[in-house]
Amino acid sequence: MAKVGYFESMKRKKKIKDALANLLLAVLVVLALGPIVFMVLTSLMNHNAIAAGKWIAPTRFSNYVEVFQKLPFGIYFRNSLIVCTSVMIVALVIATLAGYSLAKYKFPGSGFIGILILSTQLLPGMMFLLPLYLDFVKIKEATGIQLINSLPGLVIVYSAFFVPFSIWIIRGFFASIPGELEEAARIDGCNKFTAFLRVMLPLAVPGIVATAIYIFLMAWDELIFAWVLLKDAEVTTIPVGIRAFVAFTTARYDLLMAAGSIVTVPVLIMFFTMQKKFISGMTAGAVKG
Amino acid sequence: MDIQLKKSGIGVKEKRSSHLLYSIKQNLFAYAMLIPAFVCMLCIHFIPMLQGIYMSFLDLNMMTMTKFLKAPFIGLGNYYEVLFDKESLLRTGFWFALRNTAIYTFLVTFSTFAFGIILAMLVNREFKGRGIVRTALLLPWVVPSYVVGMIWGFLWRQDSGLINIILHDILHILPNKPYWLVGRNQLWAIIIPTIWRGLPLSMILMLAGLQSISPDYYEAADIDGANGWQKFWNITLPLLKPILAINVMFSLISNIYSYNIVAMMFGNGAGIPGDWGDLLMTNIQRNSFQLWQFGPGAAAMMIVMFFVLGIVALWYSFFKDDLVVK
Repeated sequence: MAKVGYFESMKRKKKIKDALANLLLAVLVVLALGPIVFMVLTSLMNHNAIAAGKWIAPTRFSNYVEVFQKLPFGIYFRNSLIVCTSVMIVALVIATLAGYSLAKYKFPGSGFIGILILSTQLLPGMMFLLPLYLDFVKIKEATGIQLINSLPGLVIVYSAFFVPFSIWIIRGFFASIPGELEEAARIDGCNKFTAFLRVMLPLAVPGIVATAIYIFLMAWDELIFAWVLLKDAEVTTIPVGIRAFVAFTTARYDLLMAAGSIVTVPVLIMFFTMQKKFISGMTAGAVKG
Repeated sequence: MDIQLKKSGIGVKEKRSSHLLYSIKQNLFAYAMLIPAFVCMLCIHFIPMLQGIYMSFLDLNMMTMTKFLKAPFIGLGNYYEVLFDKESLLRTGFWFALRNTAIYTFLVTFSTFAFGIILAMLVNREFKGRGIVRTALLLPWVVPSYVVGMIWGFLWRQDSGLINIILHDILHILPNKPYWLVGRNQLWAIIIPTIWRGLPLSMILMLAGLQSISPDYYEAADIDGANGWQKFWNITLPLLKPILAINVMFSLISNIYSYNIVAMMFGNGAGIPGDWGDLLMTNIQRNSFQLWQFGPGAAAMMIVMFFVLGIVALWYSFFKDDLVVK
């Protein structure tokens, strides 16, 4: 009899604990989503009402049209898409080659190169930005090739900048593919490169896609380099455009929030479609070392 | 191969060097695959870094900018100016930025870890709608950081900001509406959004760590009569330590070099004495690209790098045992 009572009280205790945990979780979910919901709702309101701290029905869809009229937002969007997509492709190709090499071959210097690649991640972008800026000025003077204030310049810098970390992620994916597959391909008459291209590469596609998204998100989010290297509206990317709008105009909260919502949407879509792969990609490296 | 070498009677030393040559030859393919990445890193990482180190010893400012590396050499002059020169505004700005960055990095790193582990444990239970809740909690991570700075910049407004409305008008927690974007409160205004955006990553990493812990440990502990806290301190936390190590490193590096959120909220920061809304990266960016003080900027960057190296060394000595296992 006493024993039944004990279990019952344990059960009740567990129920209370579970309820408390759920409550805490609910609060945290609200805190996590709150600012995002705030952004979307504000983007649908009248500016004057927001500035006065009044809350009205979010029905003003014209803000989204106005963003494209008031700001050259279409151009920003196009530039950002061009930059991010090119960076994604360039960095991915370079990182895939290097990642495969580091994962599947042990050669003199491979350990050192691995550490060298990781160590670049400890250095701040600013460390490279100061000299690169002056280098670019010099290159312009010497050869006339314009790298400041041009999209190709930004693509070069970004690609190289995201390569090391991408190598590290892709290396992890290749390392998890059994080496016997490559040996079998070699016996069947592939050389080292075709074995890589026809056998190993297709197997690593999930990892490569995860890395591609990672690179795209990083490039989409980058502000310092773009802020320093880009000046004209014609080549401005979204972060720079929005920052300039915040800094140099009397802020129109409704428009800014509309711009913020538009910017977040492509990233959200990308994230939702690839969520599982992306997360397993991010955590695989961390968990399996 | 060894047998062949012995037959031909090559000495030990030569044997080793020819072995090295041989394995380099064997792996030419692997080296070739690395060439593009190496070229990239050479051009964007290594050469600029050497130039940057050299720049920190040059009197490089608006007047001498066009000379670049041929600017007058002034030894440690820039370091002196940034660290000790009482006359220089750069010095005050740098020390304030350093103080702010230290507080900011410590609080953000500690909180993302602590809340991350709580969140991971909360969503690691069985309950209805777990998938949706997990996705919802991940969302802040997907919002671009400059948008995060923008949203929170509006949330923090004194008069009509949502946070003050909730804390003062609705919940009556605060007796008046504080200025979040002025003075000391600036630090909170940048710390909290950073935690908000950093938590999801911390949560996923911790969750992956939690799921890799075998339930056997907990069953054994249950049999021994351990309570929840004991299980957490003696099983969960020690087994999470390798993940924790990576999490802490991510967080330290990304927060010391944090820029976007602050820049969106406070522009470039004023850097005036007592400024709480200025971090190292905004400070250096402003000195270098608005005042065109490249020399002191590079010197400040070098000082930051030394700090980071020190922190990495500390981190390594703390987590050494957890890193070598793999």
